[in-house]
Amino acid sequence: MTTAESLPGTTAPTPQTVPTAPTAPTAESGPAAPSGTSGASGASGASDAVQRALRASLADRLRRARPELAERHDLASADGLAAAGAEAIAPTTGEDGDGALVAVVVRDLDLAVWARQTCAFALDLDTAAAAAWRRSFTRTVFLAGNPEHLMTRFPPARTAPDLSAAWTAPGPPAATAALRRLLKLLQADAPVPTGPDTPFEVPGAPEGPRPPGAPAVPGHRPPVRRDLYLATAGCTLSDALVHLNHVLVEAVMDGLVAPGDHLVLRRIPRLGGPPDRFAAVRAVAEAHLPGRLRAAAALSGPQPSGPE
Amino acid sequence: MPGPRTGDGIRPGTGPDAGTPLAPAPTAAGQHGTGTGRPRVLLAPVTVTPSKPLTPSHLKGLLWTDVMYRATAHLADVTLRYSHTTYHPTEQTLGFWEFLDRNHGDLDPTALDELDLGALYVAFRAAAERVPAAALRPYADAVEHGWTHPAATRILEIWTAQYAELGLHDPGLLSHQPPALSTAEMIARLDALGMCLDQRALGGPVHLDLTRHGMPLRTLISADGRPNYLACALRELLALAAEHDEVVLLYDSQLDPDYQRLARVLTALGPTVSRVPIGRVPIDGAIRSAREGGWRDQHAGALLAACRSGHGPAAVRLGLRLYFIAVLGPGQAESYRPDLLHQCLGRAERLLAAARTEALPPLGDRLARHRRSQLHVDPYRLTSSLLGRHRRAPATDLMTGVFV
Repeated sequence: MTTAESLPGTTAPTPQTVPTAPTAPTAESGPAAPSGTSGASGASGASDAVQRALRASLADRLRRARPELAERHDLASADGLAAAGAEAIAPTTGEDGDGALVAVVVRDLDLAVWARQTCAFALDLDTAAAAAWRRSFTRTVFLAGNPEHLMTRFPPARTAPDLSAAWTAPGPPAATAALRRLLKLLQADAPVPTGPDTPFEVPGAPEGPRPPGAPAVPGHRPPVRRDLYLATAGCTLSDALVHLNHVLVEAVMDGLVAPGDHLVLRRIPRLGGPPDRFAAVRAVAEAHLPGRLRAAAALSGPQPSGPE
Repeated sequence: MPGPRTGDGIRPGTGPDAGTPLAPAPTAAGQHGTGTGRPRVLLAPVTVTPSKPLTPSHLKGLLWTDVMYRATAHLADVTLRYSHTTYHPTEQTLGFWEFLDRNHGDLDPTALDELDLGALYVAFRAAAERVPAAALRPYADAVEHGWTHPAATRILEIWTAQYAELGLHDPGLLSHQPPALSTAEMIARLDALGMCLDQRALGGPVHLDLTRHGMPLRTLISADGRPNYLACALRELLALAAEHDEVVLLYDSQLDPDYQRLARVLTALGPTVSRVPIGRVPIDGAIRSAREGGWRDQHAGALLAACRSGHGPAAVRLGLRLYFIAVLGPGQAESYRPDLLHQCLGRAERLLAAARTEALPPLGDRLARHRRSQLHVDPYRLTSSLLGRHRRAPATDLMTGVFV
């Protein structure tokens, strides 16, 4: 029996092979399969269209991670999507599975600073590492820890300049098992404050020759400006990390975010309306409406540049 | 940091050779000291939650600590820090008080004994409720202002009487002895040592961070603000450690990982830190937690009653020490054996009757042989030295100065 619990994007962000903190954002883990007929009898056509678009974004995510599955399942149907999602997750649920996992050590957190470093981390990945991580739906586990204390024993792939966070390279779970035993899952239950829009620039030179081994994506193009949206209603800092992480690293892999781009972190209670206006959407289960989805985070299309 | 051996199978008469003098710790003794010229030693045993009768495991820890305290006092300025106030803020204590008041608010604890109250504690632990932090906050605040729940006071009164009969130094069971540091001060000091990961701003816990030394992160204060016993210990010991040349941590060996962490923190403050894990006393081969109840006649009250029928007070004190220290040893392989305890009481009677009063070297010099490389006297070495088959009779001053 396949369930929507295993649907990418509707699962708990930390896979079951990784110990789950009590406060890990599991609220999104319990939806029924998104059903094409689940709309209430009075639901508007607009609402159905939104749900269809959110399902399409899930299907798109699944297609990009596991193209072979897209050929075996009808991703246009809710059942097909759920089945494909279950199959996609299944082979990598064991600790011995071949899925790739990234561990992020977090000491303290400024969302915009962290988001910028997340982009830099993803941009630094070579093609093979990025591909392996994507096949695992960019599985990431967030750990509480002080990168300064771990440098020697666990040299990270990337460390934020202010030492507030550090990233391991994507690898099998066993590669980070010792680090995960030493640390604890990050518990960040505080609500995300709805603050002013925060601009940041994606690190790296926007043009120039690609160094050997550098990622094939993003391509070379002039920098653009995009809005990075986070829905803050009911969103803890732990949730925010999960949502923004998937959106950003997958946007880097898709070439939507490139060195020199200007992103603006915009925190608003809810990302309503048709998701078509976004270049990338993270769709998650609607906590109190089984079978329905909502947008938890999104990246806008390119915006006209202007003073910020 | 060598602690006592955790060997097993220790029996009377097989103790270490007490006749071999050990070099005392020259560095610590020589470099520090008070105006008296004597080194300063802090004994910091883990406390027993005052919610139940004292079991054989508790008695072993208390007697072990007492012999160390009284023997070391002949060689150094010793502080025995054993403050219940310090540990009241832990969940198991505050939770029990809240449970009692919520479910048995009309009970008069002064009309109950330690077995009655212990049974309620067992019920509390069995219920395993997770009450919100807000429900415990009034209790936590009251403790900070010197309040103790009457049920705990009742237990501590009973223990005070038992301490007296056991000949244990009373470290102030009924006194308000708050830790020197507030929680905020404790966190600030840890932070200054580079040993704190404080994620309260994120809605997370406060962790003790010794990952630099390869020790796993350890939560001290939960995300909803509940301190654990390690947080309580740090509020007390971070302030005291720097005032002493040596800190001796005595604890249940099951707590070893936390005490390794604690030793690491305190060592950074200057003193030599000794960890002395003390094994529990299995009952019929099983090590049980006091929270499971089932004490039957194996608790301090019943045990003392059995001992005092047929033996004088001094023999009871010495006999209990012979049994719980020399016979059981630091490990936890041997189950509690009332028959062996009573053999020890008989042995104590004979030792006391034969005690010598002739002129001997000063007691401190004789006790110094029973140290290892530290300042404190090893209770196991000292006590088992009384049991050798061909030992000379012990001296009276040793009996009165340390054991009875």
